[in-house]
Amino acid sequence: MSDSIRDRLKPAEDTPEVHHAEHPAGDPVVSTHHAYHPDLRNDPKRAKRAEIAVSALFLLAVVGVIGFVVTYIAAPFNFGTANYQTFTPLLGIFMTLALTGIGSGAVLWAKTLMVDEETVQERHHLASDPKDRAETVEILKEGFEESGLPRRSLLRNSILLGAGSLAVLPVPLLFGLGRFQHKEAVLSKTGWKAGSRLLDELGRPVKLGDLEVGGVKSVFPDVPGGRRMADSAALLIRMLPEDLHTSPSRKDWVQEGHIVYSVICTHLGCPVKLYEQQTHHLFCPCHQSTFDAANEAKVLFGPAARNLPQLAISVDADGYFVAQGDFTEPVGPSFWERKPSYSDKVGA
Amino acid sequence: MTSTRSRISGYAVVVLALALVGGLYTAFAAPKPKADTGTNQSIAVKEGRQLYLQGCSTCHGLSNQGGAGGPSLIGVGASAVVFQVESGRMPLASAAAQAPRKAVKYDRTQIDQLAAYVQSLGGGPTLPSGPLDDGNLALGGDLFRTNCSSCHNFAGAGGALTRAKYAPALKPADARVIWAAMQSGPENMPRFSDNQLTPDEKKAITTYVRFITNQNKDPGGAALGHYGPIPEGLVVFLVGIGVLIIVTLWIGARA
Amino acid sequence: MATLVEKGASGAATWVDDRLGSSNFIKRSLNKVFPDHWSFMLGEIALYSFIVLLLSGTYLTLFFEGSSREVIYNGAYTPLKGIPMSAAYESTLRISFEVRGGLFMRQIHHWAALLFMAAIVVHLMRVFFTGAFRKPRELNWLIGVGLLVLGIVEGFAGYSLPDDLLSGTGLRIAYSIALSVPVLGTWVSFLVFGGEYPGGSIIERLYPIHILLVPGIILALITFHMMLIWYQKHTQFAGPGRTENNVVGSKIYPAYAAKAGGFFFLVFAVMAALGGLAQINPIWLYGPYDPSQVSAGSQPDWYVGFLDGSTRLMPNWELRTLGHTFSPNVLIPTQVLPGVLFGLLALYPFIEAKLTGDRAYHNLLDRPRDKPVRTGLGVMSITFYLILLVAGGNDIIASIFHLSINEITYTLRAALFIVPPLAYLATKRLCISLQQADVHLLHHGVESGTIRRLPSGEFVEETVPLPSQYSVLLATTPERKELIAHAHTEDSEPKAVAAKPRGFFRPRGGVVEPPPDHKELERTVD
Repeated sequence: MSDSIRDRLKPAEDTPEVHHAEHPAGDPVVSTHHAYHPDLRNDPKRAKRAEIAVSALFLLAVVGVIGFVVTYIAAPFNFGTANYQTFTPLLGIFMTLALTGIGSGAVLWAKTLMVDEETVQERHHLASDPKDRAETVEILKEGFEESGLPRRSLLRNSILLGAGSLAVLPVPLLFGLGRFQHKEAVLSKTGWKAGSRLLDELGRPVKLGDLEVGGVKSVFPDVPGGRRMADSAALLIRMLPEDLHTSPSRKDWVQEGHIVYSVICTHLGCPVKLYEQQTHHLFCPCHQSTFDAANEAKVLFGPAARNLPQLAISVDADGYFVAQGDFTEPVGPSFWERKPSYSDKVGA
Repeated sequence: MTSTRSRISGYAVVVLALALVGGLYTAFAAPKPKADTGTNQSIAVKEGRQLYLQGCSTCHGLSNQGGAGGPSLIGVGASAVVFQVESGRMPLASAAAQAPRKAVKYDRTQIDQLAAYVQSLGGGPTLPSGPLDDGNLALGGDLFRTNCSSCHNFAGAGGALTRAKYAPALKPADARVIWAAMQSGPENMPRFSDNQLTPDEKKAITTYVRFITNQNKDPGGAALGHYGPIPEGLVVFLVGIGVLIIVTLWIGARA
Repeated sequence: MATLVEKGASGAATWVDDRLGSSNFIKRSLNKVFPDHWSFMLGEIALYSFIVLLLSGTYLTLFFEGSSREVIYNGAYTPLKGIPMSAAYESTLRISFEVRGGLFMRQIHHWAALLFMAAIVVHLMRVFFTGAFRKPRELNWLIGVGLLVLGIVEGFAGYSLPDDLLSGTGLRIAYSIALSVPVLGTWVSFLVFGGEYPGGSIIERLYPIHILLVPGIILALITFHMMLIWYQKHTQFAGPGRTENNVVGSKIYPAYAAKAGGFFFLVFAVMAALGGLAQINPIWLYGPYDPSQVSAGSQPDWYVGFLDGSTRLMPNWELRTLGHTFSPNVLIPTQVLPGVLFGLLALYPFIEAKLTGDRAYHNLLDRPRDKPVRTGLGVMSITFYLILLVAGGNDIIASIFHLSINEITYTLRAALFIVPPLAYLATKRLCISLQQADVHLLHHGVESGTIRRLPSGEFVEETVPLPSQYSVLLATTPERKELIAHAHTEDSEPKAVAAKPRGFFRPRGGVVEPPPDHKELERTVD
């Protein structure tokens, strides 16, 4: 029992002592004669078997490469042609075959045929000799003294200021990345203006009666490129007029149960276009903010803090929907310069 | 007052249940209606009414006024019937947040008869005749991404709505069901009238949906459910890291 | 043949050595010893993924056009014919449908990116739980944390470049996050994007950042990371003959090099298999970016998922006062939280050293169970992270299992604060139990399966001594020595077990029975 415990807890006593080496990265190594795998040098039969296995794996790589090349040249590839969808998987299979052959062959080779003995190498001490360290510090100090910097305060201060001012150099260049503009003004404006018709995604104006109750339509301002304007996308919703609750100040913003909201989420700007026609919920697919379309897009759930801005609409002489003007508050996410007074208007 | 009404409706349920049993017997005993009966509209309406009384009136009411379980069907149109019945949602098995897809209970002729009957009640949207999915694929894609993908996902794999509701996956839906869904706006789905999305545009959307859900052959290998980056992340850990850890164990193992 | 090769090799070596005097260095390098343990290869996965990223990425640059110039599509993928899109998206379609093998390379590139990040995280866990970050390796820990953060930035830039619907949705969120920064927000976001979103130049700007700037820094840091490993020598687990002052393992040449080289090809093979067989980022289905479109279940790649999750769980706090809008609902989950998380991660080695007062060199690794507090903290952090990650996919979970997304969100909000502390306590307790089990094993050996009947009629199971590999693991670290040395003394419990725990955390049964030959044991250990 005591022998076995000594065996179990055998410390590094069979490790030959090797003292500090000259070259940090090249400390001498000593074998412990514990092999990682049986030495096949004296077992030609098993060695031969191992060699065959390793070679077979290496040759598998050739098969993979041939398959890859043949696939690349000959397999159907053009979209829509028969079996074109097998092209990429075939490339993958053959490349995997080739790489697995080489990779596992190399590992198997190392694990069977190469001599692989456990080896001990001493670590060098990382910290320098205290004497060297002191000398280095001394040299640094001396050099600093010799430069005259500690004594000449004008020099010291001017070099600090001069070198520090260099940090300003890139700043004007950074400002070249964008135009100078009044951020709040830019962010408050969208493509909508008074009299602008509500166009659908194909550029056709939307008429009263196009939507049935429970219908929704993505609408865009009637300006060039209106559909691609990132701040102007809006959603026209039709519900039963009695379901729609608006504050008195917004009574004229809706038309016979039709109401328009900005779809740009007031949280992080995703298009809020999931509309549940029975619950009147508008739901953002990015972070699940939920708005009540029947109640001025009030926030019901999720991280958004503000209602979706509402666009006032009316109907022109030809029966087409038109905007009464731009949104009365900036659409989309919050920003520092956004005046709290915008949101005070809600429900006023 | 309320209790009287509920007692009456209780009796009504019993009576209806009896009627249903009898009706089912008749349905099974009677020979299957021939396919050409649908050509004669009035016969179809009559047959549809029989089917309605047997299978639907329990919830929707004997005179379509709506009832304990179901809404009125006056004015919902043939499209609503096609969507609900042809996708197996109706008849409903049990009350749920949302009617799930089930095995279809009626054959195509019966569905057309039911649809003709409901259509006769108060009009409403109907499916056009002719092919429904030979439209413009690229236009359909654009319209799909504008109107549909926000709920049904970019590949029609479906998505979550609020409070356990969901937009279903579109793969099982055929062109008729897709079309009927757009027209009728079932449950929480918005309604897309023909003024809003013209039949040509609906055809384009149907074509695109059928393409991405049925004819699409994913050129990049397994589609991972078309759910986007989440299954991709799972695969990289379970397959990528998983396999490679096994490899490291092999490399590190001592013989 | 053999002599010809030998001649050639020696000739080349002579030629090089005449000019560089490199033989001495090469000789020393080839003799270098690396300890081997499977978990030491996790970092290699990240390294090899990065090499594959460089190779596949370079190939993609030959075809990709990093431009937001609008074009009308007229390529091979008919379902998008006639649709306006950016040149970046069009060229990505071209790579996918018109360049032979282009889709394969795209998919390998994307899978390699996911694998790169996954391997970094798994490697980080290994380093953390074994205490490999301790002196003298704190610098390399910092470099590693830097690589993790840069990897996230690089990955996000790559995710954004194809300018598909998912890219654009992600970019819009990034812009909005920048916008929420107090005072500077509008300036930062306008300068980065070149104006109000979309600004028209973000693709052009991200492209050089993605293919030159960030990968350049990553490459430099990886090089430095490897040089430090080389110079400081790898840590090792305790074992026969292994001390703080040596390295026991294989010499780098030839066997270790063959294994590592082979492993590179096997890692590459996994990426090739995924790239060929598992479709990733099907941009043709997402469609080109259009600010009015969105897909249900829009998600970032997994390594950004935890931030998406924190954003989803955050309540809608916003302050509107004094003429300004301040958005904790955006700032806390997207900026404060990652700042704190990565800050704590970077500083952890210093915090631990400060709290434990441990200033010693450590070349022998800890077994996680020997450091119940650290291991507990690690599991606690992983739990916290996982809850955020799950929250990032709450809509997919709700959609697949038809659950209420609202309930999932409420549950995860609560779980974020309740579960991690429980995970900490459970882990700590488990570590202590495992320590006790070790001590028990050491003293009693392994159960043999042989039942013996004692004269008294009692049945006992015979035990056999541990296999040597096992037992040495039990005794070589300082904690272990202490644990065993103190195991038999009635009055002082082993420090590693009893220093902190109270009550439930006190070792069951107080002290472990002294082994019959504990004097022998003590002598051997000391």
